Amino acid sequence: MNEEQIKKTPLHDWHLKHSANMAVFGGYEMPLWYPSGAKREHLAVLTGAGMFDTSHMAVIMVEGPGALALLQACFTKNLNACIGKNKTPLVPGRCAYGAFLDDLGHVRDDSIVSQIASETYMIVVNAGMGGQISRHLENQAGGSDVEIHDLTDGVGKMDIQGPMSARILAGIIRKPEAVFDRMVYFSFKGFFDDDFPLADAVRLLDGTPVMLSRTGYTGEFGFEIFMNPDHIGHVWKMALEAGKDFGLVTCGFAARDSLRTGSVLPLSHQDIGPWPFINNPWSFALPFNDDQTGFTKKFTGDEALINIEEPEYTYPFAGFDLRKVSPGNSTIVTDSGGAGIGTVLTCVTDMAIGRVDEKTYSITSPDRPDGFNPKGLSCGFVRVTRKLSSGDFVELRDDRRAIKVVIVDDIRPDRTARRAIKTML
Amino acid sequence: MKEIEELFLPDNVRYAETHEWARADGDNMTIGINDYAQDQLGDIVFVELPEIGATFEKGEEFGTLESVKAVSEIYMPVSGEITAINEDLEEAPELVNGEPYNAGWIIEVKPNDPDEINTLMSSSEYLEMLKGGE
Repeated sequence: MNEEQIKKTPLHDWHLKHSANMAVFGGYEMPLWYPSGAKREHLAVLTGAGMFDTSHMAVIMVEGPGALALLQACFTKNLNACIGKNKTPLVPGRCAYGAFLDDLGHVRDDSIVSQIASETYMIVVNAGMGGQISRHLENQAGGSDVEIHDLTDGVGKMDIQGPMSARILAGIIRKPEAVFDRMVYFSFKGFFDDDFPLADAVRLLDGTPVMLSRTGYTGEFGFEIFMNPDHIGHVWKMALEAGKDFGLVTCGFAARDSLRTGSVLPLSHQDIGPWPFINNPWSFALPFNDDQTGFTKKFTGDEALINIEEPEYTYPFAGFDLRKVSPGNSTIVTDSGGAGIGTVLTCVTDMAIGRVDEKTYSITSPDRPDGFNPKGLSCGFVRVTRKLSSGDFVELRDDRRAIKVVIVDDIRPDRTARRAIKTML
Repeated sequence: MKEIEELFLPDNVRYAETHEWARADGDNMTIGINDYAQDQLGDIVFVELPEIGATFEKGEEFGTLESVKAVSEIYMPVSGEITAINEDLEEAPELVNGEPYNAGWIIEVKPNDPDEINTLMSSSEYLEMLKGGE
């Protein structure tokens, strides 16, 4: 990719001015870390708050009488049965995580779908994927009554994540008590386009309408904030000022990657990709029936997922110290007998966790031992040809070293993403 | 990221193309990574050090630096035998970031040829190399 093709977000100059180490991600030059360093950034999201420029993400609007039927046919999550224990339908103000697959059941991209109005949905996909997913939806829509608008680079987005997020936001939005009232995980209020009636629900002190979504990519309590890209420069500065007393630090993609891995969240095109989207930690994104033998709706790729002849399995793992291997073609997973059984998809260090005796704690675990000061644990995802169970040991081997890791159900304990908002104000 | 002009490249050490530095201290040489390397790697969280007494050829990998993001090799700027390792890095690997030329030194070697240090670059030559790579 030559330099002209590398895209910049509206905050690019701010990042350079603040000496961020930059790298290209999904076609955009984005901050890897700021001078404070990725470790401090990672820890701040657990103890205070971190702010991320995420304007590289692409937004697609799907509107019209045929919108729901189109999404039901293309998106893995059953939008008619996705809210709460009783699996009620998606409603305006709520969002759902799932994936767009091809006919082989392979992942085109993953996404959060937010219902804006009765026939209006907003889809957030990964950097550079706006065009491809829009075209896919248009092809699938055929003649049905639905309009699809790719808003790539037309929406500014920043995330504030960490236990202090709501307190920081309370300093920059109008009527914070009303905004935060009953704002559950995977819900949102407000909208960034004044033409929508929802826009009045969340306005910054200066009147800027924003969409405030209680979602994120860190596993910690926090928000994703969508707005007109013309506003993000001043909103970013306003939030930084409001966050001064709450330990807010700006965070780059290294911290984003280690935080999301510790929270068992996949990176699209790395942990999920051109292979069947099944037998992985994200089966909640599939519309399984109660006995897990079939699906509750038809969708692109469903038959391929049910009829797999040689299944492969994706599992989270955690190591015993912070040492990593480098994921890549020559890095293999071996079982206790030394046989190669798969590949490493992600391997990072979650610097907020450590083991004491047999148990893993985070620096914010309420029951952490006195003086707990972890160096971090390597963690990530492996894709293997054999079914493994939580507690099974495997070895990850690259050109340099071999590390012993254990298959786990979860990695960083005591995360805050799902906490009741009234306890975070 | 530091601009090239912001890098601290002291004149009292010599520089390898692979971004290590070496400084003659009597018969021995102290070796570490330079300011450019530590800035590029980001937070160093673990340093894998060689055994004292091990010998390496110039250009051979003698250890690894584990940053938050990746694992990187460290190469011998001269041939020789390891006479000391910086044990402080076990508890405080971040010294490599904070004080790369002082408390963040990595190894001490007895060089096979004390004059080999002269094959390394001066700070101005190293700076030119970095600018050429831009």
